[in-house]
Amino acid sequence: MIPKHHITGAIVLLIFAVAGVLAAHDFISMWTPDKIYPSAALTEKRRLSDYFSDLKGTNADTDVLIFQGDRPGATVMLLGGTHPNEPAAFIAATVIAENIVVNAGRVIIVPQACASGFTCTDPFEGYPQSYTLDTKSGPRRFRFGSRVASPLDSWPDPLIYTHYPSGQRLSGFESRNLNRSYPGRPNGTFSERTAYGIMEILRQEQVDVAFDLHEAAPEIPIINAIVYHEKGEDIALAAVLDLEMLGMSYAPELSPTNFHGLSHREWGDATDVIPFLMETSNPIQGRLRGQTNAELVIEGVSPEYKEALESGALRIVYTPTGEPLKHRVGRHLQGFQALLNSYNMYHEDNPVEIEGLPSHQEIMDNGLGNYLH
Amino acid sequence: MLYWTYIAITVYLSAMIVIELFSEKDWKRQVAMGMLLLVFVLRILQIK
Repeated sequence: MIPKHHITGAIVLLIFAVAGVLAAHDFISMWTPDKIYPSAALTEKRRLSDYFSDLKGTNADTDVLIFQGDRPGATVMLLGGTHPNEPAAFIAATVIAENIVVNAGRVIIVPQACASGFTCTDPFEGYPQSYTLDTKSGPRRFRFGSRVASPLDSWPDPLIYTHYPSGQRLSGFESRNLNRSYPGRPNGTFSERTAYGIMEILRQEQVDVAFDLHEAAPEIPIINAIVYHEKGEDIALAAVLDLEMLGMSYAPELSPTNFHGLSHREWGDATDVIPFLMETSNPIQGRLRGQTNAELVIEGVSPEYKEALESGALRIVYTPTGEPLKHRVGRHLQGFQALLNSYNMYHEDNPVEIEGLPSHQEIMDNGLGNYLH
Repeated sequence: MLYWTYIAITVYLSAMIVIELFSEKDWKRQVAMGMLLLVFVLRILQIK
């Protein structure tokens, strides 16, 4: 006679075996890459491993899309997805890649800079694994990832992360953060090697101006901002004035010289490139948010942030009607174009001329999906 | 080496949990062990 607790034990194992298969299927679905449909202006599709071969076959390898204009000019690089839980950055890079026309110069787009981070979500945050946008070709699913590289690719985290080469010390979690890992090193951690690969694009392609798109929680001080390296100050301030003329407010923020590992500092210090980083206000990243789901990603409506705003007790950037994805993507696109116009003003002999990108107002009027394949 | 040490420890703990699960008489504790085992197995398989 089989003891009763052996039977219940077998039943428990069976139930959790089924649950495990379902959970595994869900997690593995995040390993499928997002599809991006570059515009007809695409001239070459490369991989990050073409710049740093050690990344080949790893989850750090990612697409590098190159759009070469007919006329010579400056080379621009734009990163989306440095932090895969900041969807406006990835979607803005995708909209640019799917609509851009380059007349002069060259534009290099890396839509998912931290490809590893797109394969999982952050623990304990309750984030959705994906969100779906209605586009010209129908519903398109995009992954909502983790702020940092997957622990399956980079493990274990040290207790203290020591940035190379500055020696700056941060929490161990930041060792998987691409935007704390620049300039990276070829024999370093997973994120340092990814950062080294990005730096190799800057060096090998002789990039003149570069962008890193981000989002942040509404309570973070640097929000709706353009962060610039000191050598891009004139360009940034002229762009901010142009944007003010359009009724759009961007806070110009000078990159701190003693905060290391970030793109707006290390790219500019280590190469000739003029780097810019842009931030928008994203409620799903905030500590005050309530229900955390795909609707919050897309609509950006948070009653909790509305209440916090109305209380006047906090300094937060939140519009009472919400911070929808189309608004956040539109801000990135408008900022990108304003900075390029400003760059051209200061570099008339070596401009980059692009067209085909929607303005913030056009995205707000026509919807984000109208500019996605 | 560190990776395989981690996997070996996780496999060992999973085996201990299975043994404990079948010697435990309280079904509620068995359910708790099942939940714990699920996480370990997904990690051993490098799925999560």
